[in-house]
Amino acid sequence: MAEFNTSIKNQGAVSIINLKGYLDAHTAPILENNFVDLIEKSCYQIVVDFKDLAYISSAGLGVFMAYIEKIRDSKGDIKLSGMSDKVYNIFDLLGFPLLYEIFKSEDEAVKKFTEIK
Amino acid sequence: MNLSSIKISANFVLWIIASLVTAIFIYRLLFFSSDSFVFFLINDSLSILLLLVLTAYLIKTLAQKKPHPSALVLNIGIICAFIFLVIMFAENILNIQFQNISAKLVQQGMFENLLNTFYGLMFLGISSYWFASLKELYFYKQYRRKNTYFITMSVFIALSSISNLLFSATEYEFIYNTFLIISIILISFNALKISWIAFISKKEKISLLILSIIISALFILNLINNGKTDFNGTILMNYSPTIYQFFNLILLYGGIYFVVLFFTTLFHIPTAEAYDRKANEVSSLQYFSKLITQVLDIEELSETITDITTKVSSADAAWIVIKENGDRKILANRNIALVDADLINRFLLESGICENITETKICSLQKFGNKSQLSEKFGSIAISPLRSYNEIKGYLIAARKNELIFYDEDKTAINTFSDYASVAIENSLLLEQSIEKERLEKELDVAREIQKKILPAKDPEFEHLSITSVFIPAFEVGGDYYDFFEISNNKFGFIIADVSGKGISAAFIMAEVKGIFSSLSRMIESPRDILIKANEILQQTLNKKNFVSALYGIIDFENEIVRFARAGHCPALLVRGNSVETFKPSGIGLGLTNQDLFSNHLEEIKIDLKQNDTLVFYTDGITEAKNKEFEDFGERRFAEILIEYSNESVNKIANEVIKDVTLFSRNHSQYDDITLVILKWHKKNNIDGVKEWQNSTPQLKTKVL
Repeated sequence: MAEFNTSIKNQGAVSIINLKGYLDAHTAPILENNFVDLIEKSCYQIVVDFKDLAYISSAGLGVFMAYIEKIRDSKGDIKLSGMSDKVYNIFDLLGFPLLYEIFKSEDEAVKKFTEIK
Repeated sequence: MNLSSIKISANFVLWIIASLVTAIFIYRLLFFSSDSFVFFLINDSLSILLLLVLTAYLIKTLAQKKPHPSALVLNIGIICAFIFLVIMFAENILNIQFQNISAKLVQQGMFENLLNTFYGLMFLGISSYWFASLKELYFYKQYRRKNTYFITMSVFIALSSISNLLFSATEYEFIYNTFLIISIILISFNALKISWIAFISKKEKISLLILSIIISALFILNLINNGKTDFNGTILMNYSPTIYQFFNLILLYGGIYFVVLFFTTLFHIPTAEAYDRKANEVSSLQYFSKLITQVLDIEELSETITDITTKVSSADAAWIVIKENGDRKILANRNIALVDADLINRFLLESGICENITETKICSLQKFGNKSQLSEKFGSIAISPLRSYNEIKGYLIAARKNELIFYDEDKTAINTFSDYASVAIENSLLLEQSIEKERLEKELDVAREIQKKILPAKDPEFEHLSITSVFIPAFEVGGDYYDFFEISNNKFGFIIADVSGKGISAAFIMAEVKGIFSSLSRMIESPRDILIKANEILQQTLNKKNFVSALYGIIDFENEIVRFARAGHCPALLVRGNSVETFKPSGIGLGLTNQDLFSNHLEEIKIDLKQNDTLVFYTDGITEAKNKEFEDFGERRFAEILIEYSNESVNKIANEVIKDVTLFSRNHSQYDDITLVILKWHKKNNIDGVKEWQNSTPQLKTKVL
């Protein structure tokens, strides 16, 4: 299928993963590696930005579930931001808004982290 | 059988040899007379017979053993040195033991007689061995086995030897002289035949050069010291004039042969290296062409290629690097650390000098800035492209250390070789890919087979409810699951679910989900409670990454209602009259979260059924079906079709939906499973008109756990 890539930037203690393209069973390992790397570096405050993401499949959603427990146990969180309506619908159907905080923009999500402190 | 017969005949020959030796001893003891011509006639006849049998036996033995010529030469040399010592010191040693041995030998006592016979037989044996060895060398690597010259020479040697007995020192001495001269000419001529020298390596040639000059000197010295008046000559003449002459002629042959060998070797030395390399090339190419058909393992193949490369090009190190997904990967590295290979790769391939070469190129590492970082001092590089279909797939690189550099001749060798390597590597990679592809396809076949067995084979039939289901699997099994359950006489349960992930892992989760719902549906009569229980089980058993979206519903025939709960699944649609109502009660996917959160947010919906109410359940394979522009089929298009055909039968509606989805996504491959379940309610006229669906759906009965 189509391509997918990610880029990571840091804003203070918060790491922002930007997703781009199509996240499915074949491309999910790329995002998985990002999470593994961040956890290794003890970066537990993570914002995943969806504004450039065109599509996400169930396997893509699974990636978030795989690491959330560990991150929350380490007093961190994954917050989601910038979803298009289509992507939001997919998250919404599964009840993800009950499991994750979803923000309109990256900045709001980052702000939420800093506010807690 | 064959082997044992050879053994017997070999033993038989040994018996003959032993008997002849014994006969000679006895004969000489009984009849010795240094003046009698008749005595020598019989004595020499016996010795000639022994010589013939022994030589034939040795020739046969050597032919069977096929010793390397260098080994033969060395053996000849050792014996020659031994004979040299014997000839030099025999007289002195024997004189200490027996005073004036020379005189005694003519008037022999019994002991001297025995000694003389033994001495003579030793020389007989040695000359026989030399002859056999020289014959073996003569024919070694002779492709046209024309043995006329050799046989002629042998015949004249024999004639000359016998004539020494018959005619030497008589009036017919000219006959003896004639045979002798012809023998010498033939020996000189035959000694020129040294074709095997071309086939040995440079190292062996150098040792042969030294050996041959020493051996030829020994032969000639032995010949000079073996005149008829010399001590040794006297003893031999006393033993047998024929054998004496034969021994001398063999010494002559040996002397000439090794002189010729010395010069031939000397002239071969300058070209020896080139010959070695060519021979190496030829043998590795032969070896390699075999490999092409044999090697299934790319790593093993790469190892072999680098190994042969170092041999062919006399390089210190060799490695293979291939391009893979825009990256470089070293397949095999021989005699070089990966780090070093990596550094050199970067230098060669990123500086632009060697990126687009069409044939082997020799590069110097003089300008390599990071040279000091290398753990070994590589100085010269030969890099060859590995091509397939005019595209460079990778490189075969050979390196030499220190001041040794590659020359143009090395280039041709490596170039030829890298062409073979390209083909072999390409074959191996293609094979690996097709095996992997086949494996994946097999796996998907299994997954599809599991899915097919899990899904109901037939839709149930009821008097007041018509049901249809359509399932279209995606190429990679998508994990869609739906099922129908008999709950009681007036209740009927159904589920539609989508397992996250694809392929065989999704198929296994489906199987688990089916097991859970088959049993829960008989124990619990509330959709909400069933999903809560299912979440509890799946939360424990599923991998964190996996989850299941599901919608479970129950039709209550008696009260004419449908109740359902949704755990993260696509909404349920109700087509009533000319409108479509979407029901999306709150609910989180199964296996995503703990019991509290799950049950707190799980809603159950109850709808009173009216005549011709159509309930539609589906998976995202329908709404997310894509067209060429990557647009979704979407809920709006879906609803429009449902309304358009709302008065038709469930089958017709389902067909139209599928037709539309297929048409919409005709230019895009189906990525996910498509499942559509449609139920249509027909208003009950009498309350007792209950269904008989058990009878019409046998598979539902057998399925009950």
